[in-house]
Amino acid sequence: MKISFLLHNAYGIGGTITTTFNLAQALAERHEVEIVSVLRHRERPNFTLDPRVSLRPLVDLRHEKEHPLHLRPARVFPVAEYRYQQYSELTDQRIGECLAAIDADVVIGTRPGLNVHLALQAPEHVVRVGQEHLTLDNHPPRLRTALRRAYRRLDVLTTVTEADAAAYRRKMRLPGVRVAALPNSVPDPVLPAADGTAKVVVAAGRLVPVKRYDLLVEAFALVTAERPDWQLRIYGKGEEYARLRQLVHRLGLSENVFLMGAAAPMEAEWVKGSIGAAASNFEPFGMTIVEAMRCGLPVVSTDCPYGPGEIIEDGVDGRLVPVGDRDALGAALLDLVRDDERRRRMGRTAMENARRFAPVPVVEQAERLIGEAMSARRAGQLVTPQSGRIQRALVSQGFAARDAAYAVASGALRTVRRGRR
Amino acid sequence: MNTQPDKSRDTTRDKTRDTTHDAHLRVHCTAAADGRITFVLQQPATAALQSPQLLLRLRPKKGQPEKLLHVLDLELADDSRLSAVLEPQPTLAEGRWDVYLLPAPGAQRQRMRPGLRDQRALVDGHTRDHPSPVAVRIPYTTKDGYLAVRTWLRTAHAEVERLDVTDRSMTVRARLHGATLAETAAAVRLRRRGGDGVVRTLGPQAESDGRAFSFTVDYEELAADHGPTAGAGARVWDISVQPGPAAGTPPIRIGRLLDDVADRKEIFVYPTAAVGDVTVRPYFTVDNDLSVEVAAATE
Repeated sequence: MKISFLLHNAYGIGGTITTTFNLAQALAERHEVEIVSVLRHRERPNFTLDPRVSLRPLVDLRHEKEHPLHLRPARVFPVAEYRYQQYSELTDQRIGECLAAIDADVVIGTRPGLNVHLALQAPEHVVRVGQEHLTLDNHPPRLRTALRRAYRRLDVLTTVTEADAAAYRRKMRLPGVRVAALPNSVPDPVLPAADGTAKVVVAAGRLVPVKRYDLLVEAFALVTAERPDWQLRIYGKGEEYARLRQLVHRLGLSENVFLMGAAAPMEAEWVKGSIGAAASNFEPFGMTIVEAMRCGLPVVSTDCPYGPGEIIEDGVDGRLVPVGDRDALGAALLDLVRDDERRRRMGRTAMENARRFAPVPVVEQAERLIGEAMSARRAGQLVTPQSGRIQRALVSQGFAARDAAYAVASGALRTVRRGRR
Repeated sequence: MNTQPDKSRDTTRDKTRDTTHDAHLRVHCTAAADGRITFVLQQPATAALQSPQLLLRLRPKKGQPEKLLHVLDLELADDSRLSAVLEPQPTLAEGRWDVYLLPAPGAQRQRMRPGLRDQRALVDGHTRDHPSPVAVRIPYTTKDGYLAVRTWLRTAHAEVERLDVTDRSMTVRARLHGATLAETAAAVRLRRRGGDGVVRTLGPQAESDGRAFSFTVDYEELAADHGPTAGAGARVWDISVQPGPAAGTPPIRIGRLLDDVADRKEIFVYPTAAVGDVTVRPYFTVDNDLSVEVAAATE
């Protein structure tokens, strides 16, 4: 079968791009796969893409930035979407044309606005799979209202965690839409796993406030107070860089905490460490946690919504500590720093347990979902069982009304503010 | 020998219609603690490769011709991939060595992109003893995304093991490799860069093993030497250690070479102290050597 992915920009760096490449490459073992990248701003993607996966950009910003249609606001792509400013009448038109002419059996959208395009514009015979890499509860009410309307026309909606899938089932009435968790996959490591001897803790991600690297640095001060020969390496770049640098200096950790800059791929960096760390306040999935575990590192993470608790089994293959709790994070790290045997044992278990995120099991799940949706579409049937339908409808209508009210209220507030200026 | 200029970018563009995929060859490499580097081509061997070789080229200064080349045979490994080994001997001259593929005798060389660089064996390199000459090799990715090997080759080396900074001074703990400190007459030298070559000397605290030593640089003394040129830009002091009597032993540069970090300058960063109307900060140079910068305060 032929499968097309609809991706915002395959030429950037980020979790959605990585996971889309991973899934596309794994599907390419048995299917014809292409990635349609709405935007393109450079010659080649940052991540190497398997040559079996074809890549097709729709709007090339290197020549089309000033295209008259690109200067006019989008009308199909929803206004409340995070990336709305990067979309335009030109993207509306190109995506619409692309979908109208598409010869794929299945099209997979990879962000809310593109799922809306897919829901509204894909031809009848195409199976429509919307992927959500963020979470329903963190979408603004206006976006939720727009999605609630459009997502009914999808066949499958996938979230990256069970918790988020449960939120969609409870708060959005999507009759006939199969809502299922499909975790991000992480490719099988190429290098031998970490052996747990290095006195290095590794963290990776964009340097943005939600990742709480400030908390991690403060927690690590508790480790170095007892074990000054251990270091923390933080990979990634972002707006928090200067603040983190200052914090490292203020805490006197210049010899222990290093801001390493961005590294892609991370695999060769994970294996230099023996513990992984994550301190986020919020993590829709937690890709770096899985990456570290697949390389044989036990990960100490905050138990934030939604991903970490579905990835790490506390005390078995890593540690989960309360969100924002510097002392608990520091103590959990120090426990593993002190206990070589426990650290190594948990690292081996982490590697075993993280195999469920390997491409093979994840792609099997994806194929099962697609297959079921295809036969349902052919038979003209709804995919989901319909028991408890009225109950769910009533609950979800309550959430719909609330979101609509918020959306109207925030719209009104904006109007008022605008009037005051 | 094949030393045709690098036209790989142009040829790949001509050969491949599909510019969305990366057409460059990638090579994994594994660095061992003793300096050995094993290269493995990511792509399986193809018929287009006949007696292929890897070429390492010491990057010449801008406008200068290439002088040093090192060629390794690529051999078929068990899993049908081509691999080459750069043995610890002979040592390579200090600098940056770019890695190329020579697909066949007489064929044009192609610059290679890195696959995975497994350098975990280098991370704790400072905990091992490195005899003279101290030879260090760290594979790295160049700014434009190609594979290269950073090398150092020094008769002896003083590795910074710890650098503690206050707002008045910095204290360095270092260890000699390939040399020992004389019981007396050892000195730490701070040499001011530029024509005048002013040198300040400090007495290090040597440990009994003749290897480890420490010293403290007082910022006010350096600031005082900033003197009449204050406001006229930064002054840089390069730091080395003279292990014995000045006449007999050349100074050994103090730096940090013995781990997996090829370019340290932006990663190992230390606080800046304000001393009077100047600022003082220790830093690692582009060659990973230790220096101190004294600059006019900007406020």
